[in-house]
Amino acid sequence: MFLMRFTERAYVNYTEEDVRNSPNEAVRLTFSNSNFNPQEGHYLYNMYLDEYEYSEEVGFDGLMLNEHHNTPTCLGATMNLEAAILARNTKNSKIVLLGNPLPIFDNPIRLAEELAEIDMISGGRLVSGFVRGTGVESLATNTNPLHNRARFEEAHDLVIKTWTTPGPFRWEGDHYHFRVVNPFQTPIQKPHPPVWIPGTGSPETLVWCAERNYPYIFLETDPQGTQDMKSIYAETAREHGYEPGPENFGYLVRIHVQDTDEKAYDVGKGYMVGNIGVGRIPLPRDYASPVGYGSRSDDPRFLRLREQIRSDPFRVGGLDGAQYDSILDSKRWIIGSPDTVISQLREVLSFMRPGILAVWTNDGSISHEDTMRCLELMGQEVLPALREIGEELELTDPFQKEGVQPGLTRM
Amino acid sequence: MANFTEETISVAGGNLQVYKGGSGDPLLVLHGAGGNAGPRRYAQALAEKFTVYLPSHPGYGKSDRPGWVETMQDLACFYTWYQEQEGLENVRAIGFSMGGWLAAEMLSMTGHAFSKVMLVGAAGIKPNDGEITDIFIINPGQIRDLAYHDPSQVPEWDEMFGSDPTPEQTDQAESDREMAIRLTWRPYMHNPRLPAKLSRVSVPTHIVWGENDNLVPVECAGLYQQALSGSQVTVIPNCGHSPQIEKPDDFVQTALAFL
Repeated sequence: MFLMRFTERAYVNYTEEDVRNSPNEAVRLTFSNSNFNPQEGHYLYNMYLDEYEYSEEVGFDGLMLNEHHNTPTCLGATMNLEAAILARNTKNSKIVLLGNPLPIFDNPIRLAEELAEIDMISGGRLVSGFVRGTGVESLATNTNPLHNRARFEEAHDLVIKTWTTPGPFRWEGDHYHFRVVNPFQTPIQKPHPPVWIPGTGSPETLVWCAERNYPYIFLETDPQGTQDMKSIYAETAREHGYEPGPENFGYLVRIHVQDTDEKAYDVGKGYMVGNIGVGRIPLPRDYASPVGYGSRSDDPRFLRLREQIRSDPFRVGGLDGAQYDSILDSKRWIIGSPDTVISQLREVLSFMRPGILAVWTNDGSISHEDTMRCLELMGQEVLPALREIGEELELTDPFQKEGVQPGLTRM
Repeated sequence: MANFTEETISVAGGNLQVYKGGSGDPLLVLHGAGGNAGPRRYAQALAEKFTVYLPSHPGYGKSDRPGWVETMQDLACFYTWYQEQEGLENVRAIGFSMGGWLAAEMLSMTGHAFSKVMLVGAAGIKPNDGEITDIFIINPGQIRDLAYHDPSQVPEWDEMFGSDPTPEQTDQAESDREMAIRLTWRPYMHNPRLPAKLSRVSVPTHIVWGENDNLVPVECAGLYQQALSGSQVTVIPNCGHSPQIEKPDDFVQTALAFL
């Protein structure tokens, strides 16, 4: 099993009132950057990088980063910069980017160059994930939401071709046009850095990933619904001549550990102001999912699944409104002493069977001190236990898989 | 009141939904980004004197979108095709908001689309001082609040907005909004090259604006007047973005005087 550590790198020095006073009471997109203090940013960026470096030290296999725009909930506005620093300052962990929001790039060749540099500096430790980005990413970068999926697919094809086909070549697509594609720098990993795709279960993306044997990382999805999503992936995979296993799936969970259950319970409350933001005010629908961003497939399998995703109380109007205790009761967040966390995770892993576990160790207002203790306990007790559970449940990860490694293009 | 019929014709390989009513010379009415509200009171009044054609733009209402209609210029091309096919060239026209922009694009492309054109709260030209409201980051309720200066003076308010939309109406509104996003996303609601191209226009043009337009600033009336030589401007006081709905009597009077 591949164990990677994640945090969204939140900025929380603002009040609920600040959010209430912002256009559309939104904590993303239009929440004024006058609420941001770069001096605090200086401290936070360095602190978050320190925590990632320590995560390698305690034994995580991967350091996972993500990217969002116009928001205090995630300081990773240009994730590749943080990745480049980690490429230089760490030695063994994979640098897992989940992911670069492809549709927002008008120049995917530049992205291919940046990622190639990260791959070379790190000595071939890059995992290059791609995402469509939320509606906010489209709006913040003025990318037409109607073209989101088409741009995602075309930019992906262009980046992969840039990495795998000797230049120069010309690209005249629907959304991208380049007369001379020939960046001199290419990735160290051949044929290209592995591609993993995170998401909340958009059926079209599941099919797209399965066609390519790209691992799909479920982001805090409802466990029962995840089984249906996995079967959509598996069906497509079989049509393409392979049987997917744990190595094709990942799962992201908030997991926080402290010396005692009581302490962890108190500290874990800090998650509540993480990716929802201080005040936990739901984002306007036109920000999160502008008209045209979602697809209009009428495949009944897809419709059923979409309905399931929509009705997940944890996700839709759920996490913003849900009470801390009910979230913990649902076991969607795992918070406690090492023993508690290990035993709850055994259940989760047995049911979900992911080859990749993304451990969201801290967020929101959880302090640096508490985070460091959490990471220390992870290294001392939780990670070794998870590795044993992984062996016992045969949760093979993409790097352990014999033969074709998931994440490398099949099509 | 004139009877309107709803018909579907085939244009450019797709179905086009058209409301048609009245008698007399043809008058082509081009709706705005929000969609085709059908033959409202102002259209009924105009149908007393003209045969009013009120099509739903491709991708709006029950009209198909030929796959190539992606931009306002594509839409203008589509409508010259429609006019040619239906024998509706050289006719009077009114364009509301985004439909005004559409009429202006057509004027910039051909001298035989229209005999007279009225542009009402037209998008298409970037204001110098204000901004065209970004309707894609606010919800339909907020758009409506900005569109009308004084709802109490809108005679058809209850009929249009009095009850909650049905699921079908909500779906239609979403799909209309999707088409607006397709057509006007970037540059938002304007074409930087339009003013220069409008200097070719020689047909009579009349520009109408609500004095209190909160969606497309009234300064754009002056910018259209500068771009269209010989054009007249009428600013309707105490009125928002849609004079034809908010002050239909004043609007119809102005329209009939010009047309």
